[in-house]
Amino acid sequence: MLLCIGLLAACSSGPEPINYGKEACAHCKMTIMDKRFANELVTARGKVYKFDAIECLTAFLKENPALATDAGSSFLIQDYEHPGAFQDARKAWFLHEADLASPMGGNLAAFSKRGSAENAKHDPKANIMDWPTLLKQDR
Amino acid sequence: MKGLLNLLFFCIPLATTGRTIVVAPGTSVNNLRQAVILAANGDTIRVKKGTYTSLNTLVDKSLTIIGEGQPMLDARFREEVLTITAGHVKLDGFVVVNTKTGSMRDFAAIRVSNAENVTLSNNILRNNFFGIYLSNCRHIQVLSNQISGSNDIENSGNGIHLWKCKEVLIRGNHITRHRDGIYFEFAKKCLIEDNLSEKNIRYGLHFMFSDDDTYRHNTFRNNGSGVSVMYTRRIAMLNNTFIENWGSTIYGVLLKEITDARIEGNHFIRNTTGIYMENSDRITVTRNDFISNGWAMRVLASCNKNYFTRNNYTGNSFDVTTNGTLKEIYFSDNYWDKYEGYDLDKNGTGDVPYRPISMYAQIIEQNPQSVMLMRSFIVNLIDKVERAIPSITPESVKDEKPRIKPWKRS
Repeated sequence: MLLCIGLLAACSSGPEPINYGKEACAHCKMTIMDKRFANELVTARGKVYKFDAIECLTAFLKENPALATDAGSSFLIQDYEHPGAFQDARKAWFLHEADLASPMGGNLAAFSKRGSAENAKHDPKANIMDWPTLLKQDR
Repeated sequence: MKGLLNLLFFCIPLATTGRTIVVAPGTSVNNLRQAVILAANGDTIRVKKGTYTSLNTLVDKSLTIIGEGQPMLDARFREEVLTITAGHVKLDGFVVVNTKTGSMRDFAAIRVSNAENVTLSNNILRNNFFGIYLSNCRHIQVLSNQISGSNDIENSGNGIHLWKCKEVLIRGNHITRHRDGIYFEFAKKCLIEDNLSEKNIRYGLHFMFSDDDTYRHNTFRNNGSGVSVMYTRRIAMLNNTFIENWGSTIYGVLLKEITDARIEGNHFIRNTTGIYMENSDRITVTRNDFISNGWAMRVLASCNKNYFTRNNYTGNSFDVTTNGTLKEIYFSDNYWDKYEGYDLDKNGTGDVPYRPISMYAQIIEQNPQSVMLMRSFIVNLIDKVERAIPSITPESVKDEKPRIKPWKRS
């Protein structure tokens, strides 16, 4: 019985909290430090990958395109202005602006509302996009 | 003509001698901001002992600013402390404390932006979000400062942070309790020497997209990881000590996507992994000592044309491991304490090659749990058999001329 519960617990899928300052990014190997940019991928099978930057998540998905298109994958980002809780990347907006200084030089930040991305934007040339557009970007 | 002469008369004395303005508590000039407003280019400001509130004091003139008796500049967690935007500024002898921390802006104790020929020396920085922050600068000297952060994992910036800089000298500083001790992004042709970077949360020193830098004679101790060099070309890493950087994803040096680096004369002591290399080409690793590390080196199969010569490998659990087929990796003239060959012709090099990748190391690579069999009889047995008749370990990875005795370093 105990064994069964143990096995069930081991199989449960879902987001895991990030242990800041201890865990390394699955793509770039850097230690994850900055809540504002940290994010997570949970695959349909329940495997969790943690990233220190949105550009690391998209680079990882470029290398693993099957995970990008799988409807069972969850992409969990944090709102740049109010980090702390995971949000669905498919409903989020992404600001690409030179002075964001994200950990891997991609200068990308995520926002749960389009309005707050517009507010955070300083450079008129900066780009706001949704998740499918972000994935199509070449970098 | 007469006008021009007059102009010369007025300018020359001002530029050469300069006035001295004294800042002291309870006098008519009782803060630095006021002194900077009163001063002209070339003047000296002497700040007497005392505690001064400094909310982003702007230094926009070429001034020599000297603290006497370690006066304190305190931002009281409300702002940055000091921003320098003029060239030819010297700031020496201050205690700079308590910047605001916050997620939206990188608040710094001393910020230098768009300036040349600035010297920051003998300052003590405590409890700041970022310590020294240089952006778009050139010919800056950061000398003998003591920089200590808040050690707050979620709210700490870097001790010395460079962004788009050139020709910066960072010498003799002690940096601790920050995110990265020293952080370089787009910083080129800089020299980092004789610093001690310890107990920082992420890295002792971190390069991103920064070419042609040299770091030498530094000590990186007990950081989250020692030094991380990423997406960078032509870095020279000379005579540094990497000591006690321990933990599951922790390295003395992490190399990722770098080319043409030199790693010479360094000491890697008691790290989980001495050097970790991924996607890195044309790296020369020579005259280094790897002592008592878990893994002396992990070289992933994505690395090419790397040379490992005249190193000493002693007391490491594993000398070299990899995750696939290594190509164009050259070992020669290294001392390996696990070498069991012989030297019949007494020329100082062993007569049979040494294979630094042990079979057991390869098994752990595939199946990390098997680490529990470490130092067991069966593991010794399979390693011995594998060394006699190599079958699984990569044939190409071998030192044809292993040294019989360790290299002595002068």
